[in-house]
Amino acid sequence: MPAPPRSNLYIGLLCIALAVLLIFIWIPLDTDSGIVEKVRGRFAIGDALAPTIAAGFILFGGVLLLVFERNAPIQSSLTRSHLSFMGKLFAVTVVGLMVMRFAGPVAAESANLFRAEPIEYRLLRATAGWKHIGFSLGGILMVAGIIAIVERGFSRRGLLTAVLAVLAMIAVFDLPFEDLLLPPNGDV
Amino acid sequence: MGVLDYIWLGIIAVFQGPEAFSVFGIAVSITVMMVLSGFLFGIVVGATPGLAGPFAMAISLPILISIFGYSPDALLPVMGFLIGIMKGATIGGAVPAILFNTPGTPDAFMTTLDGYPMAQRGQDKKALRVAHLSSASGDTFSDIVLFVCAPFLAILVEAYLDLPEKTGLLILSLSFIAAVIGGSPGKGLISIGLGLLAVYVGTGEDFYPRLTMGADELSRGFPITTAVLGVLIIGAVFKGLDETWRESRDGKPAPVVSDAGDQKLRWPDIKRLLPHISRSALIGTGIGALPGVGSTLAATLGYSTARARYAKTKDTGAAAFGEGAPEGIAATEAANSAVSGANLIPVLSLGIPGNAAAVFLILATETIGGFNPGPSVFRFSADVVNPELVVAFGLFTCMTIANVFNWTIGGVFMRSMGFMIRIPKQLLLPSVLLLTLTAIYVQETRLEAIWFALGFGVLGYFMRVLTISPLPFVIAFILGKSLEETARQAYSATGNDPFFLFNNPIALAFILMSVAVIFFTGRNAKKAAP
Repeated sequence: MPAPPRSNLYIGLLCIALAVLLIFIWIPLDTDSGIVEKVRGRFAIGDALAPTIAAGFILFGGVLLLVFERNAPIQSSLTRSHLSFMGKLFAVTVVGLMVMRFAGPVAAESANLFRAEPIEYRLLRATAGWKHIGFSLGGILMVAGIIAIVERGFSRRGLLTAVLAVLAMIAVFDLPFEDLLLPPNGDV
Repeated sequence: MGVLDYIWLGIIAVFQGPEAFSVFGIAVSITVMMVLSGFLFGIVVGATPGLAGPFAMAISLPILISIFGYSPDALLPVMGFLIGIMKGATIGGAVPAILFNTPGTPDAFMTTLDGYPMAQRGQDKKALRVAHLSSASGDTFSDIVLFVCAPFLAILVEAYLDLPEKTGLLILSLSFIAAVIGGSPGKGLISIGLGLLAVYVGTGEDFYPRLTMGADELSRGFPITTAVLGVLIIGAVFKGLDETWRESRDGKPAPVVSDAGDQKLRWPDIKRLLPHISRSALIGTGIGALPGVGSTLAATLGYSTARARYAKTKDTGAAAFGEGAPEGIAATEAANSAVSGANLIPVLSLGIPGNAAAVFLILATETIGGFNPGPSVFRFSADVVNPELVVAFGLFTCMTIANVFNWTIGGVFMRSMGFMIRIPKQLLLPSVLLLTLTAIYVQETRLEAIWFALGFGVLGYFMRVLTISPLPFVIAFILGKSLEETARQAYSATGNDPFFLFNNPIALAFILMSVAVIFFTGRNAKKAAP
C-alpha cells in the first residue's frame, strides 16, 4: 500500500513555524511601533498590527491544513525535479539579466581600449545601437537559454525565436517612444 | 445632474473623445478603436494555448500607458482596450478547445467535452458557432445585470456601511476568496496571508519602513506591478514551461479536421439551445457576482445542471452530453462568459477584485489615477459633476461596444483563429517572460523591480506546484493597504474602541460570516477526505 500523501501536513507545519517566527521575532524587531501605541495621550493602531494579522492568516491557514485537510486524497508535492527545473530556469534568467545589466558598460570600456577620447556608457544610453547592446545580448541569452532547457538542447529555431522576440520588443517599446527606457538604461 | 445626464455624459465621453480618424466626415473616437483592437487581440490570445486574457492585459498596460499617459483622459481608451481583451479572450478560449481538445483558457476546459467530439464528426464550424452564440449571449446578459446592479449595490454600501462595517466587509471578502478559490480554505488563507505580508513590507505610518530589515531597496515597498505580474504572469510562465518540458510535446501534429454536414446554425437549433443558454447565463452571472468564484466553477455548474435537464428531454438518437451535444457547449460557454461582466459588480461597487481580469483593471486605474473603484464612484451629485461616475458610465458604454463587436464580427474572427494552436509553447512562453520583465522595467525604470518580479514569479511557480492558488495572494496585495487604512480610520472614528468590529451589529455579522465560511468549507474539505 502506498504511503498517504503528506504535503499538506508539511505545508501546514511550515506555515505555522513561519507565522510564529513573524509574530514573535520578525515583526516586533522590525517595526517601530507596536500593535497599539499611545500618541499624544491617545491610543492609535501601530505599524505592527497589520503584519500581525497577515501572520494570523498564515497561522490559521496552516492550522486548517493540519486539522481539516491533512488527509486530503489529492495532494501535490514539490519534487526534486521541480526544484531542479526551476533552478535551471532561474539561473538562465539571472545570467541573462546580468548580461543585460553589464554588457553595455563593458562594451563601452572595451571600445575605450581603441579610442583616444574615452567614452562613458551613461552618456550613450540614449544612443541607438549602444542602448540596445545589453538588452539584446541579455534578452537573446535568456530566451534562447530557456528554450534550450525546455527542448533539452540548443536549436537554431530557438536562437531565431530569441532574436525575433528581442527585435519585436525593441520595435514595440523603444522605437515609438522617446521617453521609455529599455533595461538596464534607467540604472546605468 | 440626474441619472440620465450622467449616462449621457458617459456615452459622449466615449464617442466624442479624441478622434482616431474620420470616415466620410464622421469622427471615429480613439476609445472605440481601442475597444475593437483589444477585442481582436483578446480573441487571438484566447485562441493561443498557454496564454490567457490576463497575460495580454499585463503586457499591454505599460505600452498603453506610454501611449496615453497618466491623465484622466487616458482612462477610457486604456480601460476600453483591457475590457476588449477580457471579452475577446473569453470567446477565443473556445477555439482550441473545440478544434484541438486543448482549452485556450482554463475556463474553456468543459467546452472540450462536447466541442471536440463535434469537431471529430466534422461539425467543427457549427460547434464554434454554438460557442460564439452562447458566449456572446451570456456575456451580454451579465453586462446588463452589472449595469443595473453595480450602482444600486454601491448606493446601498454608501448609505448603510460606515468604517467599521467596511472593515468587516473587507475581512469577509478576503475570507470568502480564501475559502472558495482553489477549493482549499487552508491554502487560500495562506495565500491571503502571504499577499498581505508582501504589501505591508516597507509601508506603514512610522518613519522606519517596517519589515525591511534595514534594506534600502525594500523601503519603498514592492511595486504593485511586480507582485501582480510576478505571481500571476511570471509564475504561470514558469509553470507552463515546466508542463511543456514534462509533456515533451515537440512534434505532436495538430489534428486535421474536415467539415461534414450542415455547418450553419439554424433557427430550430437556436430554439433548442436557448433554454440552456438562459439557465447558464443566470448561473454564471450569479456566481460571477461573488468575488473570487471563478468561471471554471460557473462552467462546471452550468454544464452539470444542463446535463441533468438534457437527460430528461433529449430526442432519441441525439448525442448525449460528453459525446458531442451542442447543448453541452452552449451550457458551458454561456456560464463561463456570464462571469466576466458580473465579476465587475464587486469591483465597481465595492472596489474588491474577483478575478485576474478585474485585478488588471484595478491595476490600470491605480496606475493612471483619477478613478478609484468603490462605492464612492456611484455618488450621483446633483450640483457638481462627479467625474468618476462619468468614467463608470463610459466603461459601461465600452462594454456595450465590445458586445456589439462580439455579435457582429466576433464569430467570423474567432473561427479564423484555429492556426494559433501551431505556435509551440516552448517558443512562446520564454518570449512572454522577457516581454513581461521588459514591461515591468519600462514602468518602474529600476532593475530592482525586475528582481522583485522574478522573486514573486518563483513564489507563484511554487504556489502553483503546491496547488496554492496565487489569485488570493494578488487580491490581498491589492486590498491590504485599504484594509489597514479603513481599520485605522474606524478605530479613530469609534473613539479608539479596540472592539469596533464586535460592537457594531453589521460588522459583527460580517466577522461571524467570515468565520463561518472558512469553518464550513474547511469541514466540507475534511468530509471529502477519506
